[in-house]
Amino acid sequence: MSVAVATTTGDARPALFRGRARAPSGGPRVDWRLAAPLGLAYLVFFAAPFAILFGISFYADAEQTRLGLDSWIKFYGDLFYLKVVFDTLKLGVFAVVATTILAYPLALVFRAAGPRARQALVLIILTPLLTSVVIRTFAWIVILAREGVVNQSLMALGLTSTPLNLLQTELGLVIALTQIEMPLMLLPLLTLMSRMDQNLVDGSRALGASQARTFFKVILPLTLPGWIAGATLVFASAATAFISQSVIGGARLVYLPALIWQQSTVVYNWPFAAVASLTLLFAVLAGIMVLGLLGRFARTD
Amino acid sequence: MIRLDRRAFAVGSLALGAAGLTTRAQAAGSLTAAIYPGTWEEAYRNVVAPALKKAAGVDVAFDSLFAVDQVAKVRAARGVPPFDCFVLDPGPAASALQAGLFDPIDAKKLTNAAKVPAGLITPHAVTCNAQVVGIAYNPKKFSAPPKGWADLFKSPYVERLGLTGFQTTFGTVSIIEMAKVFGGSESNMDPVFAELKKAVTKAAAVAAPAAMPGLFQQGQIDVMYTNTNTVAILKGRGVDIEFVRPETGAITFQTTLHIVKGAENVDAAYRYMDTAISADVQSALQKQPYNMIPINKDVTLVDTLDVKSVDELAGMVTHDWTKINPQRAAWIERFNKEITK
Amino acid sequence: MLAKTPAVLPSPQPITLDGVTHGYGTGLAVDTVTLEVRGGELVALLGPSGCGKTTLLRIIAGFIQQREGRVVVGDRVIDALPPNRREIGIVFQNYALFPHMTVAENIAYGLAARGESRTLQDDRVREMLATVRLEGFGDRKPRQLSGGQQQRVALARALAVRPRILLLDEPFAALDKNLRLDMQIEIKRLQRQFALTAIMVTHDQDEAMAIADRIAVMNRGRIEQLGTPVQVYDEPETLFVNAFIGSSNLLSGLIETRESGGYRVRLDAGATWSVASKQRFEPGSPVLVSVRPEQLDLADDPAPDRLPITLSLSLPIGGELIHDARAIDGTALKIATSRRPGAPLSGAGHAHCGLSAHARPSLFPRPASPPETR
Repeated sequence: MSVAVATTTGDARPALFRGRARAPSGGPRVDWRLAAPLGLAYLVFFAAPFAILFGISFYADAEQTRLGLDSWIKFYGDLFYLKVVFDTLKLGVFAVVATTILAYPLALVFRAAGPRARQALVLIILTPLLTSVVIRTFAWIVILAREGVVNQSLMALGLTSTPLNLLQTELGLVIALTQIEMPLMLLPLLTLMSRMDQNLVDGSRALGASQARTFFKVILPLTLPGWIAGATLVFASAATAFISQSVIGGARLVYLPALIWQQSTVVYNWPFAAVASLTLLFAVLAGIMVLGLLGRFARTD
Repeated sequence: MIRLDRRAFAVGSLALGAAGLTTRAQAAGSLTAAIYPGTWEEAYRNVVAPALKKAAGVDVAFDSLFAVDQVAKVRAARGVPPFDCFVLDPGPAASALQAGLFDPIDAKKLTNAAKVPAGLITPHAVTCNAQVVGIAYNPKKFSAPPKGWADLFKSPYVERLGLTGFQTTFGTVSIIEMAKVFGGSESNMDPVFAELKKAVTKAAAVAAPAAMPGLFQQGQIDVMYTNTNTVAILKGRGVDIEFVRPETGAITFQTTLHIVKGAENVDAAYRYMDTAISADVQSALQKQPYNMIPINKDVTLVDTLDVKSVDELAGMVTHDWTKINPQRAAWIERFNKEITK
Repeated sequence: MLAKTPAVLPSPQPITLDGVTHGYGTGLAVDTVTLEVRGGELVALLGPSGCGKTTLLRIIAGFIQQREGRVVVGDRVIDALPPNRREIGIVFQNYALFPHMTVAENIAYGLAARGESRTLQDDRVREMLATVRLEGFGDRKPRQLSGGQQQRVALARALAVRPRILLLDEPFAALDKNLRLDMQIEIKRLQRQFALTAIMVTHDQDEAMAIADRIAVMNRGRIEQLGTPVQVYDEPETLFVNAFIGSSNLLSGLIETRESGGYRVRLDAGATWSVASKQRFEPGSPVLVSVRPEQLDLADDPAPDRLPITLSLSLPIGGELIHDARAIDGTALKIATSRRPGAPLSGAGHAHCGLSAHARPSLFPRPASPPETR
């Protein structure tokens, strides 16, 4: 029997989402120079290249001889490229939705499991992370291909007579991304789930709430910070998953990462590639900020 | 083997760097050559470098870079080139030539020049390898092989076709040949775009060029346009694949070596290029796992190449990349737009 | 669909546990527990950690399905009902208030789950806040409240739905000592006011004695003794209950003869006592005599019913003086005497000790191994 502290769950939000207002006043003083190595590395390897990228985007021509907004106008004046941006963000959203739908039930099972089963689950969830994304992506080709596992099973069961085209489709890509990004959704979610007080769930049930009501009124709001952390990672990762997008999605599904690659290394139009890169960066950042705003509404205190 | 070579490379580049810092006068017996990452790097480290050391006592350090990166690096260096020798496909080679990034080649300094068919050594380029592009198909899946480019757009082939665009040299020249079959040309690609637009909805896959071999191996596609290297590599892995020369002729293009303008080690670079086109080296590079088509007439071609003799190359279709380059970006954009879902 | 909360308070309902058995793995956490709690009664389940009391509470609440036995409320077997259909209010040790809801939302939670109208919810919240004397706290979040206030919100939340049964899981464990008495009175008051049958789980005998109508002392999944606080304290039926409730001295001895209402026992420590007991012992059988520290007296002179002892230490504890002593057979003894104000603490030395006039020592058969104490 554990003696729990009076304030039930405390602040369960990941540190990432804690506001400035909650910075510990009078907390331990930390020498800011401790952050200098990483800060310097960021300055050299992120801030400086970013500035260069930003500068390049203002060249008007691929040969970088003239300054001008031509690249920006070409990108934002063309519905095709705007659709590419939209599709890229949509892919991120789909991945978030799919991982969420699958992750929450598993997280509920995890919450109810004993310590042994929890360890086993965490191991199973982490194992894919030990395999390279490239290998996992190619494994999905084997699974989704016309002569792959899925189609052979479907045909053996008589559910379809001709193999389904799963590769080169958005559906196939979302399926693969869901598996590939799943650990990113599960880990923060499970952390919050395991921290959640069983008494809160029991209390809700004893007060007359059904299991569904308990989930939506108690479990969901209290684990939302974990979901937001997971969703942020999945969204950013899926929207920028160049390898999976090009290998599984194929050339008919054009997403920003492939466009950037094409423009920078094949067409050799760096200003246009810079515009696409900055657009990808800010589009993903915008998505993350939307999720962060959700986090504000989901304050648990 | 590879590990040792890499260490030698590391030591070599350190030495080069140190020498460069102090005197900028490097030993006559060494050079730095750009090389494509992957199979090319492996082939040149394992075959060309030892042969060069043995024949001329010259050490070669490799800088592994894609064609566009080689051009970009030399441009950015502004007269102090980071390496002595380019290896380029026709597209980047044409633009590098226009940008004046090559020093002229004196064929008299190459002992093997006479063994190379006419036209493969130009005032600025030494061909080190030929690529032959045509149609590849799975013989177990079709009663008859596709005969030409137009067949790719017809049943039963189109349903099993893997389409790829203008990102690669082989993709670009293949689509140009398709354009010609449908009544177009390098300057009029409209007919082929019209056909492509119809074909994409039926095709088995539209994918990045790098994904094509994998898709073929997985049975996702059974027809594609590709080079003989890829066919030989897949055959080597036991994949059911055969190469077909289209009725209008197989396409060939060359991979070429060039001396970088302002290169430090010109003599060593000549020895390097001479070694690369020597019969021994060319003979070794045509075998598994490299499968590179030789351009030295003394070499007896192995039967895995789908090319009988070096002389055959002269009869194949070639393209003028000075005409292709200015249009390529627009073709890529058009391909993106027209085939995207 | 759930029944709406009744407008009129129902009459209190009895709870019957009938042979309830449950175990995790191979061991039994709850072993054939049978217990009848009368309507309106507050029964404390008292025992050390791991004795099965919390498991029993969770079985009653429906969080755990027992392996065997029945739980009956009134005349209804509730074993098949999920927790949300049992109409049982529960207050947890850590209160388990929903941290993301206000106090008012917490209190209205059960009403909303039952689909009560907003008006009724608001009225009931106001009423319950008044009942637990937290008017004006409705808009606060739980973390802005003190422990005692959270406890009261937890009570208000549990009682807002008008349950028939109230379960309390270590309700005072997280409270400051001086707050505990207030809350004990509060809970007793609310229990009466709402005509509740209540079961409280605790490991603290003082808590149980203070608030319970009856105490069920549990050990290793079984109820060792069920009785009023006075019965449990004065007439422990087992050595375990004797050791767990209050403090006591254990003296070993042999039955000498039977006498009316009890036995004469010759103690190893060198005295012969008359001890009342309803149990059967044969002359010569080894026994343990238990006597509370406050039921022993100190004397200077020897007598047949007094033990010679050596006093080592005397501690003033409130109005009492606790003496630490040792008998001649080595048994450690505690003796409590009332302290006269101003009198010096008697120091170390030899003395004698006997039963005081109102003493009610208990008699237990002596186990082969040393008796289990907490």
